[in-house]
Amino acid sequence: MQNDLLLEVRNLVTEFDSDGDVIKAVDDISFTLHRGETIGIVGESGSGKSVTSLSIMQLIPNPPGRISGGEIIYHSKTKGEVDLRRLSEHEMRSYRGNEIAMIFQEPMTSLNPVYTCGAQVMEAIMLHQKVSKKDAREKTLDLFRQVQLPDPERIFRVYPHQISGGQKQRVMIAMAMSCNPSILIADEPTTALDVTVQKTILDLMLKLQKEHEMGIMFITHDLGVIAELADHVMVMYKGKVVEQGSVYEIFSNPKHPYTKGLLACRPPLDKRLKQLPVVKDFMDKDIDGNIVEIPKTVSEAVNSVIITREQREAEHAELYARDKILELSNIKTYFPKTKSFFGKVTEWVKAVDDVSFDVYEGETLGLVGESGCGKTTLGRTILRLNEPTEGKIFFERKDLLRLKPEDMRHLRKDMQIIFQDPYSSLNPRATVGEAIMEPMIVHGILQSNKQRQERVIELLHTVGLEQKHFSRYPHEFSGGQRQRICIARALALNPKFIICDESVSALDVSVQAQVLNLLNDLKREFKFTYIFISHDLSVVKFMSDRMVVMNKGKIEEIGNADDIYNNPQTDYTRKLISSIPKGQLEDIRESMRRKKDNMMITC
Amino acid sequence: MIKFITKKILYGILVLFGVITVIFFLFNVLPGDPATIMLGQHANKESVDAIHKDLGTDRPIMEQYALYLNDLSPISIHDYVNTKSHWYLDPAKYSWKSLMTLGKQKVMVLKVPYLRRSYISKRPVSDIIKETLPETAVLAFSSIVIASVLGIFLGIVSAIRRNSFYDRMSLVLAVLGMAAPSFFVGLIIAWLFGYVLRDYTGLTPTGSLYDIDVWDGEKLMFKNLILPSITLGIRPLAIVVQLMRSSMLDVMSQDYIRTAKAKGLSLYKIIIKHALKNALNPVVTAISGWFAGLMAGALFVEIIFSWKGIGNEVFEALTKNDLPVVMGATLIFATIFVFINIVVDIVYGVLDPRVRFK
Repeated sequence: MQNDLLLEVRNLVTEFDSDGDVIKAVDDISFTLHRGETIGIVGESGSGKSVTSLSIMQLIPNPPGRISGGEIIYHSKTKGEVDLRRLSEHEMRSYRGNEIAMIFQEPMTSLNPVYTCGAQVMEAIMLHQKVSKKDAREKTLDLFRQVQLPDPERIFRVYPHQISGGQKQRVMIAMAMSCNPSILIADEPTTALDVTVQKTILDLMLKLQKEHEMGIMFITHDLGVIAELADHVMVMYKGKVVEQGSVYEIFSNPKHPYTKGLLACRPPLDKRLKQLPVVKDFMDKDIDGNIVEIPKTVSEAVNSVIITREQREAEHAELYARDKILELSNIKTYFPKTKSFFGKVTEWVKAVDDVSFDVYEGETLGLVGESGCGKTTLGRTILRLNEPTEGKIFFERKDLLRLKPEDMRHLRKDMQIIFQDPYSSLNPRATVGEAIMEPMIVHGILQSNKQRQERVIELLHTVGLEQKHFSRYPHEFSGGQRQRICIARALALNPKFIICDESVSALDVSVQAQVLNLLNDLKREFKFTYIFISHDLSVVKFMSDRMVVMNKGKIEEIGNADDIYNNPQTDYTRKLISSIPKGQLEDIRESMRRKKDNMMITC
Repeated sequence: MIKFITKKILYGILVLFGVITVIFFLFNVLPGDPATIMLGQHANKESVDAIHKDLGTDRPIMEQYALYLNDLSPISIHDYVNTKSHWYLDPAKYSWKSLMTLGKQKVMVLKVPYLRRSYISKRPVSDIIKETLPETAVLAFSSIVIASVLGIFLGIVSAIRRNSFYDRMSLVLAVLGMAAPSFFVGLIIAWLFGYVLRDYTGLTPTGSLYDIDVWDGEKLMFKNLILPSITLGIRPLAIVVQLMRSSMLDVMSQDYIRTAKAKGLSLYKIIIKHALKNALNPVVTAISGWFAGLMAGALFVEIIFSWKGIGNEVFEALTKNDLPVVMGATLIFATIFVFINIVVDIVYGVLDPRVRFK
C-alpha cells in the first residue's frame, strides 16, 4: 500500500484576508490519498472543502488568500516526491491538468463559451503532450467515447451552449482525463445536475477510476452521494476535519455530532417524518462558540418524529374533504422554436402539453421531473407569468385567464412564488427590509410604513431571522438565510397559495433540511397550500401529500406520494427513484463487495 | 446568416426612411428662405419666385416631401416629357438607367440618390460630400484604430495589475481624457507638438491630408494626420481603457478561466486565448458607436487643425443657412451609423457563437 501513496497533506493551513481580519478557511488538516482510492470530503458551504482542493492545485487567488502552513507532498510517477507548495508557478503548471486534474461544480459556466468543446479538450492534450493536431483530435474523440458522450463527432464541433448540463460535465471529465492524471479532484461535480444525470456521472467516474487507477478526491455537501463512491470519508466543519474514517465506519457509527446531523438531515425514503432532524438537534454552541454535544443517535432523532400510516390517512381524509383551491384543465404552454422570415412560427416547443389536475385547500402537491420536463413552466403558467396557449385555470372558482389585468393584479397577492436561486432573486441594492416591504406597499397592505416595518420584523422572526437584519443588504447573508428572506417576502402578502420552484435545490443538504422544516411549520401555522416543484424525488416525497411526476410536458403519474414511491407505475418514475443516492448501509456494503470483486479480478 | 443580414438591412432601410422624414420636416420649419439666402435681402420678386419654382418650394409641403423622397430613392419615378414639371427627369440632376416606362410620360429609373445642390456654391451636395467625407473618414478611422489598439492593451494591463499604481493612474487619466473638451486638448496638442517641439517632431500645427504643392500638385501628407487623430482619439481611448478593464475583470472571474488555469495554461495564454475573445463584446459596441460618433463629432478638431473634412464643411454651411449641404451631410451620417451597426451585428456573430446560433 505504501508504494501506492499519491498525496500526503500535512497540517495544511490556508488563510484569507477579509476587512483587516485573517480568516482561516482551512485550519490544520492532514490526510493521505492512495492510488485507486476515493476520498470523500463532506461539509457545508464555507467549511473549507473547496479551498482544500484549490490549495492542492495551488490556485488560491492571491491576494486575498494564501497557504500559510503545512506541506502538500505529491508522489509523482516520473519525478518522485515533490512538495507542491515549494514549486514555482511555472513548474506547477506542468502538474496542473497533467498529473493532477480537476472538475468543477458548475458545468454550465466551466467551459469557455466561445470555443468548441473539442477545441477545449484538444488544448489540454496539446499543452502537456507532444502530439500533432491530428493525433490530439483522435485522442479527444476517443475520450468522448470513453465518457460515453453520444455522437462524439458532433460534440467535438459544437459549442458548450448547444449541449445539456450532463453532457458538459462529461466534456469536463474528458478534459480532466485527457492526460491520464494520477489524481482527479472533483469539486461538487454533480450538485448542479439532476439526480438521474448525477447517477450516470457517478457511475462513469467509478468506471474511469477502475480503468486508470486514479486517486479521486470527491468533494460534496451530500453524504448520500459519498456512500456510493468513497472508500474513505473526511468530514469538515469550519475549516477543520472533525471526523475521518472508512465510509462504513462513518455511516454505521458516526461519532461527531455534526456528522450525525448530516446523516440525519437527508429526507428519508422509507419513513415519513413530521420534520427533518437538523444539525442543531445534535450539537449546541456555548457562549465561546465551542461545540457542545447533545447525546443522541441518528436513529433516535429520526424515530422521534415519525408519522404513522394511520395518522397520515386520518389527515388525508380530512384534507380531501375540503374545497379545491386550484383547478387546471388541459393546460398547454407552447413556445415558438423556429420562425419563418416574416416572424410566423413554424415549429413549437411543447413545454407543457395538456396537463390537468386539482389542488385542495391546505394540500402540498409535489411536482417532480428532470430539468426540461416543463415543471417550472407549469408553475409560471399557473401564476400567469407565462400565458398558456390553451386550457383553463380556476383559482378559488375564478377563471384566471378571463380576469381583467386589474383584477389579476389584486389576486396576485393571494398567489406567491419562491424561486430557485436565492442569490439572483433579491435586488442587491435594496435592504432586506425594503425587499420585504415593497410588495406590501404595492398591494396597499397596512396603513403606514411604520406598521409595515413592524410587520416585516415580525416576519423576520417567523422565518428565523432577527430584527437587526432589517437594514442589511442581501450579500451579507448566506444562501439559506437569503432563501428565508425570499420566504418572508412571499409571506408579507398573507397569500393563500405558494409555489416553491426548486426553492431548496441551490442549498446544502443541512440547510435544505432547515428550510424544508420552516416551510412545513409555516404551513401548519398559516394554513397555506403549496405546489412544491423539485427535481429531487426524495425532497418532493418528504414534502407532499400528493405527487405529480412530469416528463416531456406531460403527466406520467399522479397520486399519493407514498404510493407512487412504493409502487411506481411507469419506467420513468422507477428511473427517478432508482437514481436517488440513498446512503443506506446496505448500499455501502454492496458497493464495497463490488469493489472487492473487481480487485480480485485484477489481481 | 443570410436571413439574419437581410433582416438587418431591411431594418436599416426603415430607420433611414424615418431619419429622412424627420430631417425633411425639421429643416422645413427652420426659418430662412432659400431665395433670400441666394439673392440677398433686396432681390426683386420675379427672381425670388423663379428660385422658388426652380426648387419646388412653391408646392404644398406634402408634395415637396414626396419630391424629396423621390430624389433620394435609388428607384424612382419621373416625368420624361414635361420639362416644366418638378418631376422632370433632368439630366443636370440625375444620372440614371431606365427600368420601365409607366404610361405616356412617366418612367421608372434606377439612379444615384440625388442630394440636391448647395444654395451658395450651386455645386451638387454629393460632390461636396465626396470630396470631404474621405478626409474625415481617414481621420476618424485612424483615431479609432489608435483608441482601440492602445485602449484594449492598456485596459488588459490595468485589469491584470488591478489596484496597482499603474491602474490608479490610468483611471485618473481616463477621467481626464473623458472630461477635457476636445477643442481645448486640440489647441494644447497643436501648440505643443506642432509649434514648441516642431524641431523634434517635424509636425505642423495645421494641415490637411492633401497639400497643394506649387510644383507637384496634390500631395498626400500622412504626417498631418498624426496630431488631429490623437486629439480625436483621446476620448474614445479613455473609454475603451476603462471598459476593457472592467470587462476583463469580469471575464477573469468566470468559471471557465478557473478551468483554463486548472488545465495548466500560462497566464499569458489564458488572457490571449480564453479571456480576450469573451471580453471584447462590450468594447466592440463602444468602438463602433464611437466611430460613427467621431465622424459627426470631428468638427472642432477639423477646425483647429484646418482639416478639410465634412465637419468643417457642415459648420460653414450652417453659418450660411445652406440647408441642402447640412441635410445631405446629416443623411450621410445616419447612413454610416446604420451601416456600422449592421457590421457590428455580424462581428458579434463572429466573436460569440451564442449569438450566431440564436
